[in-house]
Order: sequence, then structure tokens, then C-alpha cells
Amino acid sequence: MKKNAVLLILILVLTIQLLNVYGVQRFPKPEFESGYVQPDTLQPDTRAELLAIMDIVVLTVALAVISWLVLKKRSRIGVFCTSVLSLVYFGFYREGCVCSIGAIQNITLAMFDENYVIPLTVIAFFVIPLIFTLFFGRTFCAGVCPFGAIQDLVSYKPQKLGTRLNAVLGLIPYLYLGLSILYAATGTDFIICRYDPFVGIFRFDASFGMFLFAGILLVSGIFIARPYCRFLCPYGVLLNFISRFSWRHMTITPAACIKCRLCEDSCPYDAIDMPVPGKNPEDRAITLRKLILICLLVPFFVLLGGYSTSRLHETLAGVNGKVHLAKSLLEPTTNNGQPETFEITAFKSSGKPVSQVFSEASAVIRQFYIGSWILGCFIGLVFGIILARQLIIAYQADYTPNKGTCFSCMRCVDYCPVTPEEVKS
Amino acid sequence: MNRKIILAGALILLLTVIVLMGWDLFFGSQGNQENPYAYDLKSLKPGDTLQVMYEETQQILPGFSVIHGIATDKSGQIYIAGDNGVEVLDSTGKRLARFALEETGRCIATGSNGLIYIGIQDHIEVYSKAGKRLNKWKSPGDITIITSVAVSGDHVFVADAGNKIVYHYLSDGQLLKQIGQKDPEKGIPGFVIPSPYFDLGIGKKGELWVVNPGRHTFEQYDQDGEMITSWGKATMAMEGFCGCCNPSHFAILSDGSFVTSEKGIERIKVYRQNGDFACVVATPDMFTEGTTGLDLAVDSRDRILVLDPDKNQIRIFTEKKKN
Repeated sequence: MKKNAVLLILILVLTIQLLNVYGVQRFPKPEFESGYVQPDTLQPDTRAELLAIMDIVVLTVALAVISWLVLKKRSRIGVFCTSVLSLVYFGFYREGCVCSIGAIQNITLAMFDENYVIPLTVIAFFVIPLIFTLFFGRTFCAGVCPFGAIQDLVSYKPQKLGTRLNAVLGLIPYLYLGLSILYAATGTDFIICRYDPFVGIFRFDASFGMFLFAGILLVSGIFIARPYCRFLCPYGVLLNFISRFSWRHMTITPAACIKCRLCEDSCPYDAIDMPVPGKNPEDRAITLRKLILICLLVPFFVLLGGYSTSRLHETLAGVNGKVHLAKSLLEPTTNNGQPETFEITAFKSSGKPVSQVFSEASAVIRQFYIGSWILGCFIGLVFGIILARQLIIAYQADYTPNKGTCFSCMRCVDYCPVTPEEVKS
Repeated sequence: MNRKIILAGALILLLTVIVLMGWDLFFGSQGNQENPYAYDLKSLKPGDTLQVMYEETQQILPGFSVIHGIATDKSGQIYIAGDNGVEVLDSTGKRLARFALEETGRCIATGSNGLIYIGIQDHIEVYSKAGKRLNKWKSPGDITIITSVAVSGDHVFVADAGNKIVYHYLSDGQLLKQIGQKDPEKGIPGFVIPSPYFDLGIGKKGELWVVNPGRHTFEQYDQDGEMITSWGKATMAMEGFCGCCNPSHFAILSDGSFVTSEKGIERIKVYRQNGDFACVVATPDMFTEGTTGLDLAVDSRDRILVLDPDKNQIRIFTEKKKN
């Protein structure tokens, strides 16, 4: 009943978005003056310093509360309520910006462009969740990230995807992270912000494309829990990595696992590692062969990835404005009778020499050549490690949350028959 | 429904989004040569040819380089106001008379007494058929732009687009009252006139009809200035009006139906007395793109006379079944 009500409210909120999607052109322009003076275009003021500090405080408090709810209180309802509050504050009130996910790009740009001054809030939004993750696991994903919260609300009939499908789709965030760093480092674009699916919903001004994107993610999110978090979120890659080394992490059971198997299908994110009996350990020779294979495969994939991606560096660089302009200038100005592009028109009116555009573009392409090698090696390394993990059998006795992929949402906890009271007694 | 099918569907949706993101990133902006802010109405212009019940049967070339207003009288004679003059033609288009004006007439109407009323920027001038100026009325306001004039017996109604009001005169030039001023208590919404296109006319029973172009409606007033009724539908579809200010002109057929012309999407249509869409007279492809000021008149044989300023013609449309 509660789930239906939440779903209904979400559908209503999304329906309001449709009002912005459709607009009608008024034509021809009115000829009379109405006395209305068109105001100058204003840049929005930066957020007041006090409010910016308040955002950092709210983020820290929210992370502290959610970590306490996860690790001490073990409360699914508490996590849910915190995620709704975070959705309201960081989503609808703060309009989804600054967000920790997009902050990756600001941090990258600040590292590669000395003229870029990075605001303190952005650093805080990037670093604080990582610190909490290092101590308490992905509690940020559990109930502070507004992206996760909005998807969690619609996760109505989640289905399991299976290990292989999860592994294949799980490669996409690494690629997205690599591309977003490459484009931010070269000053090309902030692609995470460009394809931010929910910011339009938070701001009630989604374009049709954005609305469609968010709509598809939310509709598919009814059956595939948190699709953005699992198969797109580049910040999730960092959290996944750091969470593996977390000091404390939520557990399914408050005491020893009794292997009742009740929690086995409780996780909508396929983030519970099943017990692997270690009664018949592998033969040493087989283990050695696997180790040698891994040692050969990983460098091979790294080199293959680097080489293959470097072949695509010009395509990757095509997204850059300077490269795109240079390419447009090389093509005939009137292509099949089409008018020249706006970029060319703007360039012609700027008075810059064409040679300058070409030299700037070739410098960018050189950067992309190096960047695409690094990106390819990174993807190859990730692919190699994922493949290697399939070869290694990690023995474990209990049902445990996977420290990397678990969002600490606490759904599984309710399935565990072992209660803290029993543990005390 | 089978869970696997649902899951497969959700997966396909998710992968579609990811593929579209990639496509947009690498190829989306490169192939886009079109101006996203282009002022392009082509997609709105095609009309249903089955709805066209009129055909163009004749064109008349007036002796002016610029034409502004057209009117007819009961005998079927045609009056055209152009640059610094007025022409009187018979129903076949043969010129009967021509006289000069000191200034260019923007709109024209004929009275039952044989007088010709011409709207000239901010005032009305009255002429005899022979071209003798009989009267020049005082301008009613500082920012007056007279866009239409209509005569009903001894009463003359003048549309002032500048002041967004209709003036009710006696035929001797005496101003009786203003009509159409916003009055919520009387249910008068006030005229919304974004451009100098503000037409009025006299209906079958002598009633006054005024276009409220910003609202895309026709409003009927009695001679006391009380609003009787209104009709109109704002829509991009053929059966209504759209744009910033339409219809720009209208005329009334002998059965009380309305003939309307529009700008933006240049077209002529007929509406029944109750405001229901009846048929199309002329589709946008029959006019030069951007044509404005398609003034209308109806003659004694219910032929529709369209003043086309761009082609500098009077184009006559006749109902198909009557041929």
C-alpha cells in the first residue's frame, strides 16, 4: 500500500514535468511595442557562502546519521526516511548541483588546468562521501545521494540480473568514468552533467530528451533496481573501490550467520556474496596455471585496450569544440546545399586566422592520443581484473554483502531472523 | 506477465539509453546543421485539400503599386484603397472611376447612402462616389491607428488598433461611444491587439462583429456597446486560429457565415454563423510566404474577394458547387 502511494506520488511529480516539455511557437512576432523592456541576461549568483557551508554541514550530518542508522540501528525505515529527506534537500531544494558525481570533473579539470579555481564546496562534496565510505562502506549511496534516492523509490518489482550480466553491464561505469575524466582533463566537456538524467526533474525544467532519459531510467528502474547507480554512475566506481577497504561495513546478520538462506534473494542489486564451501580446495597445479594465465591476460588486455582506444583518438577528440570546428572548416562550406554551420559563422565573425584553429585542434588531438591510451589501458585493466576474478574462487562461510557493490540499503537485514536482542541474550 | 520478458524489456530500455548517450556524444552534434531557433512554419502549413470548397476564378490588377483595403457595395461594385487613391471597379474588374487622396487609405467601407468611408492612419475621411471629399473627422486619439471601418445604416464603427478600442460614430462624424473597453463586470475581456490587425464588420442582421485577434475570437456587440456573444478556438489545427494575432481580416457572406484570413499561416477559411468551421477557401501554398494584410470583401453574388498585397492583385474565389 505504502509502495503504491509512493509510486503514485512519483508518477504525479513526473507528470508535472510534461508541462515543460511541450511549448508552442507564437508567430509572427507582434509588431506593437508593449512597453516591456527585455532584461539583460544575468548570470545566476553563486550560492551564498553561508549556504554553501550549510550544504557541507548537511552533507556531513546526513552521512553521519545514515552511517549510524546502517551500522548501529540497522534500520531500513531509517535509511528510507533519510533518503527521502536527501532527495528533497539535495535533489529538489539544491536542484541536484553541486553533486558528488559531477564533482569528479571539477577535480579533474582543476588538476589539469591551473587557471580553473575549484570551489571548496565541490571539493567537500567529492571528498566527504569518499572518507565516509572508507570508514563505513557506501552509506552515501544508501540514503544521501539524491540520484540513488529517486531510483530507490521506484524500485517496485526488482529482478535479479545474474552474475554474468551484472559483470558485463558493470563495465559501463568504468568506461563512463574514463571518458568523463578524459573530456574534463582536456577541457572539452563535462559529460556527466551533460547527460545528468535527473537534474531536469529536480529543477522542473527538463527538456524532452532529458525527460525521456530520466523516464526510461525510472521505468526500467522499476524492474532493474537503481540502473544509473549500478550501470552508469562513475562516482560509484570510486566508492566501489574504496568501500572494499572500509573499516566497518554493514552486515546482514548481527551475529553469526545461521545459513537459513532467507536473505539469499533479498538484495535487488545482486550484492550478496553466497557462501562458497572450502571443503575441496583446488589442486595447487591448477591454481598455479590460473595465476600464470592471469599474469599474462591482464597485461595483454591492458595493452590491447590502450592500443585499440588510441586508434579512436580522433573520434574521441571530435567532441572537442576546437577539433570539431577545424573539421568543419576542412569540409566544403556548403554541403549538399546546406547552410554553413553556426560554428563556422561565429568563427568567421571572430576574425581569428584559420591556421590558429588548426594548430589548437592538433594540440588537442595530441592530448587525446595520450589520453585515449590511458583510457584504453584502464578499461583493459578493469576487464582483465573482472575476468581474473571469475577464475579465482574466494572461499567464504557466510552470506555477506559484497563490500564493493553493496549500497547499504538495509533491505536484506529485515530478512535475517537473528535479532540483536537474541545476540545480547 | 512473464518476469523474464519484463526484465528483458527493462534491459533493452536501459541499453537503448546508453547507446543513445554514446551516439549523441560522438555523432549527435556533428550532423546537426539546422538552426534550432529558426522561424519556420512550414510544418504547420499543409492543409487538407479535401476541405477546399472554393476555387480562384479571376484576378483583377488594380492601378496602384500598393494596395491596402477593399470593399464592395450592394450593386457589386468594388472599391480599392491604394497608394494615395481609391479605385472603383465593376464586378468584372473594369475600372469605373479613380480619385486621389492626400494620404494613403488603409481601410475602406461603403454606406447605403453611397458614401465612401476611408480610414487614413488616425482619422476617417468621407468621400462621394465622384471622389469629392465631404468630411474629415477628427482623430479620436494620440496613438490611433485605424485598421477597419464598417457602416450599418447611419452608424459607422471604426477599429482603432493603437488604442485597442472600437469607436461608434454617426454618419456625420459625431462620436457616440467607445465599444470593447475591458469591463469584467459586464464580461467584456478587452481587446488584445499585438499588431495593427484589428478588423470589424456588420453581420447579416446589422449586428457588429469585432475580431479580438490576441484571443483568436470574434466578439459580437450591440449598438449600446454590450457584448452579446463570442466564438473562436485557439489551435494550430485548421478549424481554429493561431499565431500572435489572428484572424487578421474577415468579411461576412449573405447567409451570415464568416470568411476569415490569417497571417503567419496564410489561409482563407469560412466559418458558419455559429462559429463552426465550414471549409477552406485558399490554402497557404496559394500565397507568398510572409504575406500579411489579406483584406477581404464579399460581393452581392457571394464571391470572395481577397486583396493580396504581395501579388498586388484582387483575387476572386467562387464556391465550387456554384460553378
